[in-house]
Amino acid sequence: MASFARPSLLRQTAMASRCTAISSVATRAAIARPAVVAAFHTSSKRPAFLPPGPQKIQGSVNDPAFVPEANSAHGSYHWATERLLAASLVPLTIAPFAAGSLNPFTDAILCGAVLLHSHMGFQQVVTDYIPKRGWPRLHKAFWWALNLATVTVGVGLYEFETNDVGVTEAIKRVWKA
Amino acid sequence: MSALRTSSSRVLGASFGARAAMLPTRAAFTRSMATVSETPAEPEPRLKTFQIYRWNPDTPSEKPRMQNYTIDLNKTGPMILDAIIRIKNEQDPTLTFRRSCREGICGSCAMNINGQNTLACLCRIPAESSADVKIYPLPHTYVVKDLVPDLTYFYKQYKSIKPYLQRDTPAEDGKEYRQSKEDRKKLDGLYECILCACCSTSCPSYWWNSEEYLGPAILLQSYRWLADSRDERTAERKLNLENNMSLYRCHTILNCTKACPKGLNPGKAIANIKLAMNSS
Repeated sequence: MASFARPSLLRQTAMASRCTAISSVATRAAIARPAVVAAFHTSSKRPAFLPPGPQKIQGSVNDPAFVPEANSAHGSYHWATERLLAASLVPLTIAPFAAGSLNPFTDAILCGAVLLHSHMGFQQVVTDYIPKRGWPRLHKAFWWALNLATVTVGVGLYEFETNDVGVTEAIKRVWKA
Repeated sequence: MSALRTSSSRVLGASFGARAAMLPTRAAFTRSMATVSETPAEPEPRLKTFQIYRWNPDTPSEKPRMQNYTIDLNKTGPMILDAIIRIKNEQDPTLTFRRSCREGICGSCAMNINGQNTLACLCRIPAESSADVKIYPLPHTYVVKDLVPDLTYFYKQYKSIKPYLQRDTPAEDGKEYRQSKEDRKKLDGLYECILCACCSTSCPSYWWNSEEYLGPAILLQSYRWLADSRDERTAERKLNLENNMSLYRCHTILNCTKACPKGLNPGKAIANIKLAMNSS
């Protein structure tokens, strides 16, 4: 806006700087072009299961976005459980060492808490990166793979607790600090 | 001081008047010569190169590219917006961006400058470094053209939280809904949001799930209405967030708080919503 009112001398210098800009663009492009082209061409090599996809707008621009059905088990209760579980891990980890005695009962609680904690953590990863909206079947596959993994680890921990020394004792033996 | 000035000017005026009376043409000539020699020399031009993201919807098969523009900072205002307006005026009228108020109150000129989402009008040109300034549109948005992102869905999400006062009971005096100073204070740091989308588009969680996660800007606004003592639909508003996507995709990354050009704290507002969701 202000440039309309500027004297012609200034405009001439602006034109001159524009010419230098163009020449510098040319020299710079000669050096930087391969990298830039490579960076922008990655889209063609995108994996098939991650399509960029055009934007899809449901309804008109004046309609509000879709609000999902309320479910506390997936909302606030789930969040509170996660936090409580994470916080409880601290005393559960310290307790056997502070007490100085290895109790299979505290060991079992610790194992269960760690297992649930990691299960809920991985559930978040699946929800974040393989959302049901985009890849419903892949989402389901990962969801059940995670369930299977958790059950397998649970069975393994049970075997370790009942037929071997247990988690706390194992860490105690391995930990040479 | 003022007395001194008036007397000295009077003395000068008198002497000039006397000389002008004696040699009118010569006096005028020497004065104009003196003025010309006093003008300072043209300062060294401080050239700065701006690399700006270009993409034209008229040629959609062409890849987006970075275009360089070099301007003299001596002739440009201090802010990035001054620079790009100058580039548009003088070098390339096809450069497209949104701007309106140029003082950080409209939120139009939100863009990614040197890797940080911010308002171009509130971002100084880094004059001390010689590095190029890189300007991109807001990340992970559908680009309309050059630096203009498509914020349609962002506004639809804003609409979905019903950003207005909802009441069933009329005011006691029939005039206005009153609130205590303490209640009003709860809205400070929330009502200032200008919805520039800098925070939402800096949030990785919003990048991955922007179709379902509301994002920090909308959640800050959501909390602005949850925290309002005059609003009577708090329970309904909370119920709309009771799912695993709308609110709970926030993993406290806090990019939002870092990005906010208005210095607000969307991360804290979301934390407050999460606490409020469990305290009812």
